[in-house]
Amino acid sequence: MSTALGKTGEVPVNGASPEKERWTPLIVAFCCNWCSYAGGDLAGTSRMDYPANVKVIRMPCSSRINPLFILRAFQRGADGVLVAGCHPGDCHYTSGNYYVRRNLSLFRRLLEFSGIEPERFQVSWISASEGDKFAGVMQSLTEEIKALGPNGKWRDSRWQSVE
Amino acid sequence: MTKYITSERLPELWARLADRGPLYLPVNEGTAVAFRAWEEGKEVNLEAVNSTVSPKEIFLPAWETYLKFERAGKKLALAPADANGLARPVTAFGLRPCDLRAIELLDLVFVEQDPPDELYTRRRKNTTIVALACSQPDPFCFCTAFGIEPTDAPGADVLAWKTGNRLFMEARTPRGEDWLEENSRLLQEAEGVEKPPPVESADFGLALEGLPENLKGRFEDPIWDQIYRSCLGCGICTYICPTCYCFDIQDYGHQEQGERFRCWDSCQFSHYTLTAGGNNPRPTRKERVRNRFLHKLQFYPERYEEFGCVGCGRCLRSCPVGIDMVSVIRALGGETVAR
Amino acid sequence: MAERRINNMEKIRTAVAQDLLSGRIDLLLGWEKGLYWWQSRPLFARNSEDLQRLTWDSFCVANLSGYLQEELKENKKIGILLKGCDSRALNRLVQDQMVDRERVVAYGLPCPGLLDPRLLKQEAGLELTALGIEEGEDRVTLTGTKGKSIAREELLLEKCRRCHHPDPVGCDQLLLPPVGSREDRSRFHQVTRLEEIPAEERFAYWSSQFERCLRCYACREACPCCSCRECFVEQEEPRWLGKAHENSENFIYHLTRAFHSAGRCVECGECQRVCPVELPLMELSSKIIKDINELYGEYQAGLDTEQDPPLLTYQPDDPAAFVE
Repeated sequence: MSTALGKTGEVPVNGASPEKERWTPLIVAFCCNWCSYAGGDLAGTSRMDYPANVKVIRMPCSSRINPLFILRAFQRGADGVLVAGCHPGDCHYTSGNYYVRRNLSLFRRLLEFSGIEPERFQVSWISASEGDKFAGVMQSLTEEIKALGPNGKWRDSRWQSVE
Repeated sequence: MTKYITSERLPELWARLADRGPLYLPVNEGTAVAFRAWEEGKEVNLEAVNSTVSPKEIFLPAWETYLKFERAGKKLALAPADANGLARPVTAFGLRPCDLRAIELLDLVFVEQDPPDELYTRRRKNTTIVALACSQPDPFCFCTAFGIEPTDAPGADVLAWKTGNRLFMEARTPRGEDWLEENSRLLQEAEGVEKPPPVESADFGLALEGLPENLKGRFEDPIWDQIYRSCLGCGICTYICPTCYCFDIQDYGHQEQGERFRCWDSCQFSHYTLTAGGNNPRPTRKERVRNRFLHKLQFYPERYEEFGCVGCGRCLRSCPVGIDMVSVIRALGGETVAR
Repeated sequence: MAERRINNMEKIRTAVAQDLLSGRIDLLLGWEKGLYWWQSRPLFARNSEDLQRLTWDSFCVANLSGYLQEELKENKKIGILLKGCDSRALNRLVQDQMVDRERVVAYGLPCPGLLDPRLLKQEAGLELTALGIEEGEDRVTLTGTKGKSIAREELLLEKCRRCHHPDPVGCDQLLLPPVGSREDRSRFHQVTRLEEIPAEERFAYWSSQFERCLRCYACREACPCCSCRECFVEQEEPRWLGKAHENSENFIYHLTRAFHSAGRCVECGECQRVCPVELPLMELSSKIIKDINELYGEYQAGLDTEQDPPLLTYQPDDPAAFVE
């Protein structure tokens, strides 16, 4: 898949090279429909810049996240995964994000235990009015993952990026 | 032709053989032992009887891609995948006589059919098998019950056995002679006629004669209700078994491109017999356990005039709940003396 | 000592025989001897003849609680022999409403820790067939080795070395005197060791372990807490897991299996005990338990059925393991 910033998911040559400069990570962001997704919309309609290599997937609630979504994303090409939901206390369904906070905290530590850099999996609370936070999170996440380089860990050896 | 090599020089032999093509032999993996392609640093274990997982993997890998496909417009391009062990000559070293017999049983299914299974047959033709005679059977071994001699492996290209510090190797086929010849720089001529010292495994008092006939008409025997009860429904027995050969074929990829692979499957899994529409002719663990044992003890003999078990003892050691070949044969009445 | 063991056996048999033969229970789940003296296996006893085979020894390793769900479909009331870990599994299943506690009679067997045949063989330097054992209070004597005697603790199965609760919890009756809790044992030393090594090494470690996985699913089948009617492994729509033994698929399987038991794992160690290629699977579950304790307070599944499982509850001011 090509984006304005170059090809995603391709493994660049090691060291500082033009290829590495051009490489942009593939980031999958699972966003809650009621807050973070709307925050993304706001960032868009406000013409705020955020990297186009972030693939946003709309969820009914951050607690809809199944850890298998995250594992599958890493297996099929993601260099980083983000889950974004409503701020604690603001869940559209009252308490979904409280449950998912426990769930994903444990899961993040388990991922780290398996050898994945914890920076590759992040969780953020972004409300519908925080377009600037949405753009900022996406930008800083992209920078962080870019510094780490491509993720080959737990990637399916048969997986190929789709041109 | 008989030659020998001393234990200290074995690493040289491994390196030389691995240079020529993949060399599979038993190596330690933690406390388990499995047949792996040799490389520097692997800890070879020629003492283990028997390896935790059987060497059938050499000929029937746990999974392998054999076909790649890609769509270009309205055309579908197909290409066979490069599979390991198909092109270069392979050496399989250290297979025990029971394992070798098991491979001969697999040959009945994969090679002596029309058409033969191409992947299996090519691997089989590519591979020189050096069997290793047993000097100390494990408490779980019962190959003797199936008429296997722990110190002989009639189907091997080369038979090896250990005496003290020496590993003797005797060629049994022309290919075995060539193999010994190729490696003669590292081997020494054996003086006089050497033979592996005879040993015998336990046979647990099994009486197998007439068992297949005896099992006819016992499909609905209430004994199966007892045998299966504690079965967990895992696939350990089928995956460590040297004669279980079931596989599945699946695709990986998406609409535009992908690959087709085959992988082990187990008759102990509910999905093994699940058909489209949701019908399952073996709906519970009872039918699945019954199938596994009847396959080895009745269907195989009916079809090929050979038992589908070689008494390697792996299921006796690894079944977490003690449903193993010996216990089941006993429960079915295949014993010389009633206990 | 041998005499006491025989007395114990009679005590157990008498207690369960009363209930089985009077019809209070239809089935007794216990153990019987397997092929060799170092093997015991599950026994499904229905009559006095079956009860003659009933055994309680240092090799009765299988956790029988996992059979209840299936057997309760066919039996009205089931009696079950439970070690400490097994009893916690029953309690956890009851808490999840997977088993109706009213239909179970739980007989508790305080457990001195079970012996690892591999260690016996290693210590004796002999094939187990040439060996026997005599069990004392804290020591085990290997007969056939000129009477070598070893502390029992050193011969225990890996899973038993970490056990804090050898005495069954919440049983209808205890058939033997309690052995006392063992909170002096370390549960997380392996996890801590792995946490401390660099991420790259940890990745290499788990890669080399998962690579060996046969995907026989014995860890799942033996787990008394894996009680889903349909596992994600078999789900077709969506297909979560491919059948190739590709390492990323193995990784997804093992991480998901362990994570699905978060807040459920009773540390019976059956997953690791049954693994034919001996993957260190307890470390995954132990890691999750350790993190639950650190982040959300001490929780040991199946000890107190009134306590909410940590993933089924929350506090508004919970900490998070990520930058919020």
